[in-house]
Amino acid sequence: MTPLQKQGWAGLALLLLIPAWVLAASNTTFIEHPMIVVRELPPFLANPETWSNIGITLARVAAGLALGVVAGFVAAFVMTRSRFLGEVLGYYVTAALRTPSAIAAILALAIFKGSETGYALVVAFITFPYMAVGLRDGLANADRDLDEMSQVYHLGLLAQIRHVWAPYVAPFIFAALRNAHALAWKVIVVAEIFGAAKTGFGAKFEHAWSYMLMTEVHLWLLVFMVIVLFAEYGLIRQAEKFVFRWR
Amino acid sequence: MTQETRPSILKCEDLGVSYGAVPAVGRLDFDIRKGEFVAILGPSGCGKSSMLNVISGLRAPTRGRVHVKDQELFTPASKPPRLGYVFQSHRLLPWRTVRQNLEIALAASEVPRRDWEARIDEILSILHIAQFKDAWPMRLSGGQRQRVSIARALLVDPAYILMDEPLSTLDEVTARSLRQELTGICQRTDATVVFVTHSIREAVYLADRILILTRGPAEIFEDYTVPLERPRDYDDARISEVEADIVRRVQAPWGLSVEKEKAVA
Ligand SMILES: Nc1ncnc2c1ncn2[C@@H]1O[C@H](COP(=O)(O)OP(=O)(O)O)[C@@H](O)[C@H]1O
Ligand SMILES: [Mg+2]
Repeated sequence: MTPLQKQGWAGLALLLLIPAWVLAASNTTFIEHPMIVVRELPPFLANPETWSNIGITLARVAAGLALGVVAGFVAAFVMTRSRFLGEVLGYYVTAALRTPSAIAAILALAIFKGSETGYALVVAFITFPYMAVGLRDGLANADRDLDEMSQVYHLGLLAQIRHVWAPYVAPFIFAALRNAHALAWKVIVVAEIFGAAKTGFGAKFEHAWSYMLMTEVHLWLLVFMVIVLFAEYGLIRQAEKFVFRWR
Repeated sequence: MTQETRPSILKCEDLGVSYGAVPAVGRLDFDIRKGEFVAILGPSGCGKSSMLNVISGLRAPTRGRVHVKDQELFTPASKPPRLGYVFQSHRLLPWRTVRQNLEIALAASEVPRRDWEARIDEILSILHIAQFKDAWPMRLSGGQRQRVSIARALLVDPAYILMDEPLSTLDEVTARSLRQELTGICQRTDATVVFVTHSIREAVYLADRILILTRGPAEIFEDYTVPLERPRDYDDARISEVEADIVRRVQAPWGLSVEKEKAVA
């Protein structure tokens, strides 16, 4: 697909949303008409408080995701090192993978009393198993032929990591990263709501909802969607395209 | 200089390889000298790849010694040998361009960096792939990839080059032209080559000397000097004669059926 075609599909997706939204608005009590939301959008975006809250959630997601990625790498590395650790850790990772995020959120925030550490840990705990499993599968399927080639041509350890191993596991890392990233955003909002946070998306959303400020609920939702989509298509997919340009 | 007076590059003594209790290479003794093109000819499963694994320094033999130039391999003091290896499949890094693949091998060699560019350009043009210098391997044909793999093997100042049936996965037209170029380059660069094949004709066309192996576990059945001048023509009747001669010799030890081989010869 050319970039233009891609943009065409994106535009179409947006366009189709409008009649669906109008239809929903006229048939339910809670959904506002898009015109009202659009009218309120400029002052909402001009408000610095909007951006400071977005920034806070963004920082929590980034910190948690970074922590989760590092923990996932470490876990995958340890799991592929020894049979014993691979088997034993494998069960913990599977358990973490199946833990409902709401429960992880409640536990972490009870322990860390709604501190920033708590938020980062919730996101990290939910995302790290995805990284761990993805990376482990990548390393387990390692290419013995290229290994032999590196040995025959005397590639040093760094050269092997840089030119053979890292590119080899990159597709696994990206697949895992996409999953982890998508989850991170879902989890952080759950955590912010359960943690009775004063700031961030979740907090603002909850506040608007409990006071029945329906326009504001829509505005937060809209901004949230845009940011998540931007992170996915604007950052992750672009990085992926660059890394896999050899295909 | 005659071959006998040229220095020894690769020498195996009483070489044996077993997997557990199962022998794959029985006993091999040979000495390959500077500039020789030696074909290793043996039926499939006789232990050719096992032998290559040892003389490439990848795996220690179960028995015997390997010398590269003056140095014995697989001793605590020995360094791994400097060699080029053309595998059956290209084994290029698909995520690096042709040039990067060559540079990665050069970076691990002793070739000084200031010579890389000129050397890469030279070898790529000799192999008729200069226009693919910045291409991704996935965009190349099978023959072009194998040319890059040959370039890589030649570039690193190898003491010797191993080739494990490098043309066997190519179509016959591509294999023919590459076979012809290979003899030219190896003559010109005075490369020392160990070329494993199961094709008798290919061995006769390419090699100065053919080590004919027995059925596995491999031993040397005959150390055969190819009685043909260079340059050779792949379709020459004299190649067919030598081929037929070798077929006659290996019929019994390889357990070939006579009818089948008449058709080949
Ligand atoms: N890693 C291995 N473990 C056990 N047996 C092996 C291994 N590699 C090869 N063999 C056996 O050793 C014999 C020689 O194999 P190989 O060296 O690959 O022969 P060739 O390359 O001549 O076809 C075969 O019987 C093969 O099954
Ligand atoms: Mg083989």
